[in-house]
Amino acid sequence: MRIKAYIFVVLALALFAAPILVQAQDDSAQSREYQIKAAFLYNFTKFVDWPEEKMPDSNEPIIIGVIGKDPFGDAFEPIKDKPVKGKSVIVKRFKGLEELEKSSERHPQIEAIRKCHLLFICRSEKQKLKETIDLVKDHSVLTVADSEGFLESGGIINFVMEEKKVCFEINVTAAKRAKLEIRSQLLKLAKRIVEEKPSGEEKS
Amino acid sequence: MSILQNMTIKHKLMSIIMLACITGLVLTGVILIVWEINTFRKELIHSLSTQAEMIAENSKAALAFQDAEDAKQTLQALHVEPSIAFGCVYNKDNKLFATYYRDYAEIKVHPSELQESGFSFAGGFLTVFKPIILDGETIGTVCLRSDLSPMYAMIKNHISVIIAVLLFSSLVAFLVTSRLQKVISEPILSLAEVAKVVSEKKDYSTRALKQSNDEVGLLIDAFNEMLEQIQYRDLELVDAKEQLEVRVEQRTAELTTANEQLTTEVAERKKAEERQAELLKQLESANKELNDFAHIVSHDLKAPLRGIKTLANWISTDYADKLDEDGRDQIDLLLSRVDRMHNLIDGILQYSRVGRVKEEKIQVTLNELVPNIIDLIAPPESITITIKDELPVIECEKTRITQVFQNLLSNAVKYMDKPQGQVSIGCDEKEGYWRFSIADNGPGIEERHFDKIFQIFQTLSPRDEVESTGIGLTVVKKIVEMYGGKIWVESKVGEGSTFFFTLPKQKVGGKNAELQASIVSRR
Repeated sequence: MRIKAYIFVVLALALFAAPILVQAQDDSAQSREYQIKAAFLYNFTKFVDWPEEKMPDSNEPIIIGVIGKDPFGDAFEPIKDKPVKGKSVIVKRFKGLEELEKSSERHPQIEAIRKCHLLFICRSEKQKLKETIDLVKDHSVLTVADSEGFLESGGIINFVMEEKKVCFEINVTAAKRAKLEIRSQLLKLAKRIVEEKPSGEEKS
Repeated sequence: MSILQNMTIKHKLMSIIMLACITGLVLTGVILIVWEINTFRKELIHSLSTQAEMIAENSKAALAFQDAEDAKQTLQALHVEPSIAFGCVYNKDNKLFATYYRDYAEIKVHPSELQESGFSFAGGFLTVFKPIILDGETIGTVCLRSDLSPMYAMIKNHISVIIAVLLFSSLVAFLVTSRLQKVISEPILSLAEVAKVVSEKKDYSTRALKQSNDEVGLLIDAFNEMLEQIQYRDLELVDAKEQLEVRVEQRTAELTTANEQLTTEVAERKKAEERQAELLKQLESANKELNDFAHIVSHDLKAPLRGIKTLANWISTDYADKLDEDGRDQIDLLLSRVDRMHNLIDGILQYSRVGRVKEEKIQVTLNELVPNIIDLIAPPESITITIKDELPVIECEKTRITQVFQNLLSNAVKYMDKPQGQVSIGCDEKEGYWRFSIADNGPGIEERHFDKIFQIFQTLSPRDEVESTGIGLTVVKKIVEMYGGKIWVESKVGEGSTFFFTLPKQKVGGKNAELQASIVSRR
């Protein structure tokens, strides 16, 4: 009986502990994933050329905006002081559109979002994807997300996981629409390139 | 250089030209090869660096987005360049990010070799490193390695081509040189040939052919001129030689003639000498015969003369009263003439005795002998005989020297015409002989009679005035000359005469044998 009881305890412990361990493992993998993604975001700025009105000669920094529930944590720490194209890079975090609408500072926030060079749309904004993309549509903002169907929604770069590796796909038409020039080197690395036909149909 | 010195001019020329050519070619070849290697290396470095640069450029995104597959594909582009053996991309942490191998086993770049940029030649490879810089940040390194063997093969190829060109050029240079060297060597060789002919055959009429107007041409001209001069001299020499031969012949002929003459002369002289000897012999025998004859005659004539005298004495004594005055006078005259005859014969006998009769030679002290002679002569009181000098001691026949002094002194006394007669005897010692002198202040002798007085039977005054046989001085002369001396007279008429005679010291002073010999030869 005692042995039965012991086994029971162990089993019970296992039952309780396993999800916790898996959770921990998952967290660590996720943070690593976002570290890579942060580095990618940073590197995207190097391979994408913004129109001149978006990139004045002045010493204004390149702004990476993160909208929604920030999954990066301190993933931007290693790239904090590294300049790109002679400019410093700063990361700005914004609340999701839903929350923003409730906020009193809605208008200045939207302006700030539109000033971003790169906008990462978190998964938390999955419901408001289309709206967020539309928000920055005419402001030459490189929209990045890691959500399925992002490109189809008019997003420019979307992260995908392939064999546990972080990869990305690009919507060239969307980039063109945003007057962004994505360098061929970056395009070459893309797992999938989406070109919208004028009618709006997708083509891989 | 000493090897060069013993070569012929032809080979010398060729060697020098070939040496210069080959040196130049080899130098050019070496420089070319070095240049080539250098250029190859530079080009290789440049091209590999360019490739690395391209890889670096194309790997930027792959590194940035950690797409090793893409980097690998980029590296795959290297296969167009066959010499690139290995290429790889390192990430920021110097970890291998992507690699490329070409048909070779895996070649690892040793971590110690890893560097950010630069190149190195090692192990038969050229390794080039290029940093991958993205936006001022080094995000990795490209490393490319090129196999050098194609380059080496190429260089080898080039070297063999250069060597082939060098050999070919040398061959062409050799052919050209062997043709063109003749321009210089041929005139010299022909000159040498001519010189050889000249020196071997002594043929100075040969001439070298002038082929060019350079220094060699000058040399040939000078040589020809020299030959001409030599030829001329040679001809002259031959002429002179011929002349000399003619002259020698002439001289020889002359000499032969002279020699013949000389031989003849010698023969003649010999004949003459023989004749002379014969004559001398005849003379000697004649002389001897004369001597004997004189002796015999005088001796034999004495006997009838003595008979005549006895008879005359008898007539004078026995027929004195029967004869008249005239008869007695004539008998007396006869007696006196017989006496004179007797004296003459005695004189001849005396003369002939000189030399015939020999006497032992003794030391004669003249200082003792001469006073004795003076006593014997017994000069009258009016005449004084003085001995002026000390007289020497001589070795001779005493009778002869007595005869000499006696005859000379008695002559001086006999012919004295002065009331106070002075006779002096002197003696000087001269070199090798004694000179004696007997001087008087008598009548003197005319110079024309100086020789005559020494001849036999010669008297200057008539016999009736002074009783004289005319033999005394002849005897004196004979004695003096027998001893090898001389006799002569110095005189002035009216003032007196001095008779000199010499006696050689050697002859009279000692050597008996010589004296004897001289006596014998005079006979």
